[in-house]
Amino acid sequence: MASITDNGDLTPLRSNTRRNGVSRLSSLPVFIACLPALIMLLGTFLLPIFSTLRLSFSKWPGVGPVDWIGLENYSSVLKNSEFHSSVRLTFFYAILSTIGVMLTALLMGLGASRKKRADEPLRAIWFLPAIAPATAMAVFWTISVQPDIGLVNQLMGKVGLGSQHTWLADPEAAMYVVIAVTIWASASFPFLLIVGAIDRIDPEILEAATVDGAGEWQQTRFFVFPLIQPVFVMVTVLQFIWSFNGFSLIWAMTRGGPINATTVLSVFQYNQAFLFADFGLASAVGILGTVFLLTLGLISLRFSRSRTAIQ
Amino acid sequence: MKLGKFLGQGTWSLFRILITIIILFPFFFIILLSFRNMLDIYINPLSFNTDWAPENFKEAWGGPPGGVGFSVYFKNSAIVALIAIPTSAAVGALAAYFTTLLAPNLRRNFMVFPLLATMLPSIALLIPFFQVFNSFGILSNPFALGLLYAGLSLPVTILVLHAFFLEFPKELLEAAALDGLGSYRTFTKIVIRLSLSPLLAISLLNIIWVWGETQIGLVLLLSKESQTIPVGILTFQNALKANPGPIFAGLTLATIPLTLIYLAFYKTINKGITMGGIIR
Repeated sequence: MASITDNGDLTPLRSNTRRNGVSRLSSLPVFIACLPALIMLLGTFLLPIFSTLRLSFSKWPGVGPVDWIGLENYSSVLKNSEFHSSVRLTFFYAILSTIGVMLTALLMGLGASRKKRADEPLRAIWFLPAIAPATAMAVFWTISVQPDIGLVNQLMGKVGLGSQHTWLADPEAAMYVVIAVTIWASASFPFLLIVGAIDRIDPEILEAATVDGAGEWQQTRFFVFPLIQPVFVMVTVLQFIWSFNGFSLIWAMTRGGPINATTVLSVFQYNQAFLFADFGLASAVGILGTVFLLTLGLISLRFSRSRTAIQ
Repeated sequence: MKLGKFLGQGTWSLFRILITIIILFPFFFIILLSFRNMLDIYINPLSFNTDWAPENFKEAWGGPPGGVGFSVYFKNSAIVALIAIPTSAAVGALAAYFTTLLAPNLRRNFMVFPLLATMLPSIALLIPFFQVFNSFGILSNPFALGLLYAGLSLPVTILVLHAFFLEFPKELLEAAALDGLGSYRTFTKIVIRLSLSPLLAISLLNIIWVWGETQIGLVLLLSKESQTIPVGILTFQNALKANPGPIFAGLTLATIPLTLIYLAFYKTINKGITMGGIIR
């Protein structure tokens, strides 16, 4: 295989064309150059994941010996009603915020691709929520939705909608506030990826459509949407994974409260490990989440590869 | 038809203004309220006609009595970033470039590893991190956390730089080989010098990530003196529940420098994201 060059000539083994020469004759330098990265990836990802797997079959209170207890953590977590509730809340949070984020991001993407001079500065400004630290923004919004003193409540009071809303203290409402803030904070990144996809559309296609009499909505509906669809689907999957793993914003706003109303999986795990020192159970939660997300990720990767959507 | 088009344009303009207002709302009020005293914030935050309270920044920088402030958080975030970003860029660039020299099949199989690593959730890794940091006695150590962040940001660094190096002009590499440059010297003398803008883009993306990472920092930085900005904000929030002025000053300090860096480099960063594709 490596003895045939791009133009089909047979070449001797000591070719100095790049692909053949380096890949065949000097894979040792490649290996040495990748060694630091391999060691770091091993230490940061591979060893820890096996360590979590091992801990998930063990009892470990944070100090002392690690005792092997088989599947006990899994059976007790699957019977745990707080775990059930956190799984429900995680899906509720992840699905609703993904829908909200992707619709907002799509609208923003179309809105910042109007072939106007303001497009460029808008793209810069609309990306700012992705730059600001999530905890800082979460703290701002938390103060803003406090009754009476919060900005949002004061503004609502000014237009006659009442300024006494105690959203974050209300188990029914808290999750919706968190989702709203998540949409504010998270739409910017998918927005920019969608903008990238729209920018890559060949302008001739849209010109041809205009010549054929397609209005703006028809252009968007029949040309822009299908052409950005692969990117949109992939980003939706990624956004779902990111929301499913969400922690910082929820933690900064509610610490999982009130009365566990926003205790999603990552908060549940944090509490189990670092509040109740049940590291085995928390590891089992981590493994269950990982298995679910890796399956989802691999399926969508396969899906996108087979359609050669991205790269 | 004409009217419809006119209305359409108007709706989009309205939409653009509305979104811009919603997005700038927190930034505007964080800065405004950071200069105001408690009473004004509580009674009438929307008015401009009040005393200014620059002492909020003094308290945010120095911290509440008995606590630490943003001077300490800044120092720790800087330590973490100064270790994580160059390490990630150097180690990542080496791997990202040399893997492009592999045969296509091998290369693609190899790149699946960083891709899988980006899918692993923090909840799967957090507890071993805590275990190892605890047993080595490096909890509350920003230097150690910087090294961990370097490892955690490595997969994205490799994927983004790899996509860029694949496009690197082959003629230059062939010319270097003809001149007798080995593959390492080609890398340091030619490839790196012509790749400063993607290296800058990925480093800026990593700074943004490091500046905001909370979940792992919260677990590994226990002492107040060791906390980074995002973790420190949470401690600060607890310590100053009744006095929002210094909290807003703290949020200003946490947000505005990064925002300015972004606005200075937004073309590079946005291009890195829209071109580099899908991975955060």
